[in-house]
Amino acid sequence: MRRIAVALWNPIVAKEYRSRMRTWRSPVAMTVYILLLGGLGWAIFSAMSASTHSAFNQGQAASFGQGLFIYLVLFQMVLLAFITPALTAGAISSERERQTIDLLFVTKLPSFSILWGKLLASMSFVLLLLLLSVPIFSLVFFFGGIELDQLAAAFLVTAVAALTLGIIGLACSTAFNRTLPATVAAYGGAFILLAGSLLFGLLFPTDIDPNATNAPAPPAVSYLSPVLPLVTIGTNAPVTWYGVRNSQGYGTSASCASPAYGPTTCVPLGPNGVPIGKGGLIRNPPQPSGTTIPSGLFSGWQYWQASVTMQLLVSLAALVLSALLLPPIRRLPWRKSPVSA
Amino acid sequence: MIAVEGLTKVYGRRTALDHASFEVPKGEIFGFVGPNGAGKTTTLRILAALLEPTSGRAFVDGADVLQHPNLVHERLGYMPDFFGVYDQLTAVEYLDFYAACYRQPKARRQKIADDLLELVGLSDRRDQSVDTLSRGLKQRLCLARALVHDPAVLLLDEPASGLDPRARVEMREILKELQKMGKTIVISSHILPELTELCTMVGIIDQGRIRATGPVQDVIRQLTIGRRLRISVVGQREEAIAVLKPLPSIREAGMVNGAIEAAFEGDEATAASILQTLIAAGIKVSGFNQLDGGLEDAFLKATSENVG
Repeated sequence: MRRIAVALWNPIVAKEYRSRMRTWRSPVAMTVYILLLGGLGWAIFSAMSASTHSAFNQGQAASFGQGLFIYLVLFQMVLLAFITPALTAGAISSERERQTIDLLFVTKLPSFSILWGKLLASMSFVLLLLLLSVPIFSLVFFFGGIELDQLAAAFLVTAVAALTLGIIGLACSTAFNRTLPATVAAYGGAFILLAGSLLFGLLFPTDIDPNATNAPAPPAVSYLSPVLPLVTIGTNAPVTWYGVRNSQGYGTSASCASPAYGPTTCVPLGPNGVPIGKGGLIRNPPQPSGTTIPSGLFSGWQYWQASVTMQLLVSLAALVLSALLLPPIRRLPWRKSPVSA
Repeated sequence: MIAVEGLTKVYGRRTALDHASFEVPKGEIFGFVGPNGAGKTTTLRILAALLEPTSGRAFVDGADVLQHPNLVHERLGYMPDFFGVYDQLTAVEYLDFYAACYRQPKARRQKIADDLLELVGLSDRRDQSVDTLSRGLKQRLCLARALVHDPAVLLLDEPASGLDPRARVEMREILKELQKMGKTIVISSHILPELTELCTMVGIIDQGRIRATGPVQDVIRQLTIGRRLRISVVGQREEAIAVLKPLPSIREAGMVNGAIEAAFEGDEATAASILQTLIAAGIKVSGFNQLDGGLEDAFLKATSENVG
């Protein structure tokens, strides 16, 4: 138990906290973060108020609450996507640039502890930012439309996404000797994770299979992005607007027949109401319901569960890569030891 | 305490270290001498388990640097030639941090830091931010850092480089104090006269090869062909030179800066015999000294074969 405690809490963490909190940058970063998030919240609230000339009814308030929540969680995610790589991309490379890394390597700290210490120190700051934002998010509850479990799930997704971005930044910092290329690579990784995976779903959507028994789901790669689960948590509605291609017009306009027994079958109709396709009866594609993933690898999972799982897998891979790359003498399994003279 | 066996390090086409071998017994101060790019830092980094050799082995206090790097790190303190310090930390916090990295108990760290700051003469700077210290003070602090876990071996890569003469003298005094504490010290330096005074052993390296190694005086003797005498006489200079020149042990003799200088081959007994001959010839000898060409001559001799 003590070993685990020693491994988790190592001198690097204490040193990083001390150094970080003694500069003006940390309080300024926290202040700017809160101002930006609070400013956005206030702007959205003002815009919503302006669009409604009479008092809110309950339904409108809930709808405003949902809208405010979605804007806030997405904006928070974007802010953290800018902040987190900056926190970790220089963690190791700056030690190299400053010529202090060798002094750490010759101590009794294993390389993994150095990595862990750097990561924990950076992610603690991110966690602090998340905690600071809680009062702003609590404003959403004035309107309703969002439950506490939705807020908790959104914060979990955001925290795990920030952790993943942090570990990717750390891996870049380990792989590159200089901080500048490490930072560029870390932001590249963040873009791929947040936007690239979403773009994948747009470019390569899942084709609707008329014979499938379950509704189609966006491609699994797109779950890497925290955007999809955050929106799903906020809307609390199935994903029908993304990642699915209705290339043959199934279910859009069709003449359907519902026999007493057996599935509903439809014939897709063209613009003039004329049946199109090869003829014959086809199955009406099932529609997703609820917020679970209707089919595919993560069938039955919540979007946020799939997203968190995939991001944790990416984090694990990046962490293992960092641990392999960091030691001054790399013990890679495929490398031979030097021979005696 | 330190053993290097056939150590070779190749970077691409360049051989930085070529089958280097030497040993440093316990309690010795080993001066590692060589021109820039000779392979000194490469050797020290391999000994500190920071660099993998292409071939060969190295041991620190019996621990193989490749097989047991953790043991090596426990037993040695390393001071690199270039190093940085963390900003936003005071001197005492800096040492406390490294003491924690060496897993020193928290209760002892304060005392360790205070004792080491006193050893290196930085007690009055304990609460000063380390990034505001001068280069010389940073060097001393880095030496203190290398000692936080009380290692048996110290590897110091150019510890006096960039220091003013006073700081060099102070650094030398600290190293002597450490020798008295029983530490085995390997020190690479370009400042040869200081090494002669400080070191008990020396290794001369050039182009990755160890040219000579052993006790300082042995290496000097081994490498400086012939030794020089400086003889002062009362008048009779021409006569004294006439007595000296026919002697079989004398290679040459002549006047240099108002005194006679003679190059001879032989040992202490030969020098005594030359003095006896002069006195027997009626020369009034007022001064008779062996000129110590020293490490500098030995170094130049060892490395000159490869120059040009």
